[in-house]
Amino acid sequence: MNNIRPSAADYLKHAKYFIHILFSFTMLAARRGPISLLRDMRRYPWLFILLRAPLLMGRLAAGRTGLYREANELLISFIVKQMIDVLVRTLKRDDTFILHQEMVPPEISTAMGLSVWPAELLSILLPLLDSHAAEAYIDRSENEGIPPDICSHVKMTLGIVLSGEMPPASVIVSSNLPCDGNMTGYEITRRKNNAKIFRLDIPFNFYNNRAVEYFAGELKRMIAWLEENTPGRMDWERLRQICEERNRMAEKEIELWEMISARPAPMAAEPVYLGHLWAFNADPGNPAATRFFHRIADMTRRNLESGVRAVPNERFRAVLWNPPLLHFSELFRWAEEAYGITLVIDSMTYNSQPLIDTSTPDTMLRDLGKIIMQGPMARHTRGPAENYIDDIFRIYHRFNLDMVWVAGHIGCKNTMALNQMLREACREKGVPLLIIEYDLSDQRICSHEGIIRQIDHFMQNVMKVNRNGEDPPDPRRGREGKDFTTIHYAYRSEE
Amino acid sequence: MNKYAGISLFDDLLAEPLNRLVEQAMDEGRVPVGYTCSYVPETLLSAGKLFPVRLRAPGIAGTELADTYMSNVICSYTKSLLEFALGGAYDRLGGVVFTANCDHMRRLMDNLEYLRKPAFSHTLDVPHKRGGPALEWFTEELKMLADKMSGHFGVSASGADLAAAIRSRNAFADAIRAIGDLRKQEPPLITGGEFHRVMIASLVSPKDLLLPLVEDFHRKAVERGGVGPYRARIMVAGGELDDLSFIDVIESQGGLVVADRFCTGSLPALDPVSETGDPLRAIAQHTLGKVLCPRMMEEFDEREEAIRKTAHEYSADGVIVQAIKFCDTWGVEGSTLTSALRSAGVPVLRLEREYRHGSEGQLRTRVQAFIESMGK
Repeated sequence: MNNIRPSAADYLKHAKYFIHILFSFTMLAARRGPISLLRDMRRYPWLFILLRAPLLMGRLAAGRTGLYREANELLISFIVKQMIDVLVRTLKRDDTFILHQEMVPPEISTAMGLSVWPAELLSILLPLLDSHAAEAYIDRSENEGIPPDICSHVKMTLGIVLSGEMPPASVIVSSNLPCDGNMTGYEITRRKNNAKIFRLDIPFNFYNNRAVEYFAGELKRMIAWLEENTPGRMDWERLRQICEERNRMAEKEIELWEMISARPAPMAAEPVYLGHLWAFNADPGNPAATRFFHRIADMTRRNLESGVRAVPNERFRAVLWNPPLLHFSELFRWAEEAYGITLVIDSMTYNSQPLIDTSTPDTMLRDLGKIIMQGPMARHTRGPAENYIDDIFRIYHRFNLDMVWVAGHIGCKNTMALNQMLREACREKGVPLLIIEYDLSDQRICSHEGIIRQIDHFMQNVMKVNRNGEDPPDPRRGREGKDFTTIHYAYRSEE
Repeated sequence: MNKYAGISLFDDLLAEPLNRLVEQAMDEGRVPVGYTCSYVPETLLSAGKLFPVRLRAPGIAGTELADTYMSNVICSYTKSLLEFALGGAYDRLGGVVFTANCDHMRRLMDNLEYLRKPAFSHTLDVPHKRGGPALEWFTEELKMLADKMSGHFGVSASGADLAAAIRSRNAFADAIRAIGDLRKQEPPLITGGEFHRVMIASLVSPKDLLLPLVEDFHRKAVERGGVGPYRARIMVAGGELDDLSFIDVIESQGGLVVADRFCTGSLPALDPVSETGDPLRAIAQHTLGKVLCPRMMEEFDEREEAIRKTAHEYSADGVIVQAIKFCDTWGVEGSTLTSALRSAGVPVLRLEREYRHGSEGQLRTRVQAFIESMGK
């Protein structure tokens, strides 16, 4: 059990970031105006869920201390501030507003002066804030005839669209990534919005020049199409600035990766994976995102130099494969406390092609294309199985890990069909593997208790340890004897 | 309905993954090449001594091994193929050509290559859209496959040889289409079950050896003069369907299947390939030009319109949209398509099914109710 308690300084910092978050909310009210904001809140009920961000910060900070704790607080306040900026642009809904699929990074559209709303943003953010947030939207999708076996992330996004709670767009850009369900679902979004749509076609085998050129051509066709259908005009100098800013952020992230390769890790979990998920997908090229990574890298370095562990009782180092367990945001904090497991990195973060050559428009498009094709998730859901399996072992060795956790999202058929190959490969290489069977957004499929039980079984039977010497382990009990599996219900009732 | 007695010849051809005509061709030194998707151009696999065989798993009883590798949330067509492959059912094929068409098909290819390692295998990267650049890309893809086959099998899959294969393919497609057109008549001269036996047999047999049977069937169907009473004319649309008992059950309830727009069906698969210009480009154009599968991102409106037009052309009273459970593309598209067709006044029944025949009682009930809902 982690016996370190937060210091007075920790609490003071927590108060500081809490005030930052409140300030961001106040800015939303000020920039939208109270009447408009009230109308927005009536039209988009999910805005109420965003107000729970301080509770998420509290959940991630609890049981952590020092710079690791502060990095988590910084992360949530950063996400809230950036989200408010995106929201203000989105809620205005002028003619520069366009809807992007999550796998279409926004650098190009932003350089064209367009205001981008990533359609799947809410489906990531809301379950993190409220573990039940997805359920009504998933039900809405299924009631409209979407089969229950389709990925719940896709169903949630479609549920938001079908409920009329997605900000309406007349222009959409989507792609054939990351899976068939998501790709096909965009027809529903298009029809609901009566929108014009451009769909990017990403080849199956993309580690070759032919695919890079084809996809760069797709990006050029997308630019021409956007110029024809929106007021946006391509500003190559602006794109160069965005790409260079993105490169600076990526360089900081590479530094961060180098530092967290050390054992014990000076930084871990949410600041690494959630920071990447937001900064690189929702807002790349924004100086604020680069500053965030500077600060995270700086905190990590200070911990490294002073020999401070992020997780004081680090015993095991893990990678998480597949998207993080959205509705169970406290999982890694629990794993730290219960078993000393440090989540060092995840598959959505590690990018093998992070930097962009900004010398000409063509080099920028080619490298942005590579980032899309070879980026996290994309390279695992397109291409042959080795893209998925070899990457796991590459990361396992690079980050000096002890185990691989796969978030076995029941709706991700693409990866479910590789799990046995992965099991056999891990067995052959002696790599401990846990495949958590659950649903990404819907905890009615597998409860938090069920997830914890799977981890307990793995730790006891494969890693041969009990929860920090406690014997026998009680799958329902977390730190200080709290019934961990009901914590989220407690938050809900407090609200 | 009256059934043509000679149809059992076609049933025999469909009872095994590699039928007696395939064996006969192999005895003559020809090489069968398996494929898994209607976006693999059969014509290209007909070069020289090669001939195409669509992979099926007739009579599959369970997919226990495939479930282990591909999980229980994957389409049962792909799992059935893996199960059969693990049992050695396709070992005598010269090779297999896959497409990266959908998530399930791609993972079938991954697992098959991991577990069975076919002597020759290739994955065609079919673009998800049409237009000039996609056509160029796919023509290059076909060229790479042709070159690989030439190297491996020693056949010529280009130029005059390929042009001849196109002509031969078109002639055979004409023969099948002529039979399919018999469904347009009132009353139709053949049942849907009969036609699709012929159609599926044409996908799993060497076409030259099958042609005499096809011509004989055509002649006798015309002589027979009608299939007898039925309640409604039905069109079947959707994904992979090579289980004829599904159509038989629909017809057993009086729903005569007069038109099709599904993966293994005749429309638009039998449209001619252009016989002028570069043969590879003509094949690419034909393949990408088919308005058929929701894996093509930009064609929803065309697919919906094609179904409506086909239903009108064949005087179908209603449309059954069927898909194998867990199919993501048809699963999502099915909801939009059903609404769009209903909005256009077309009666629609949406059915989810497994690859292997089952749940017959439920299917009968749904079809009965559908026919009754149309007032037939």
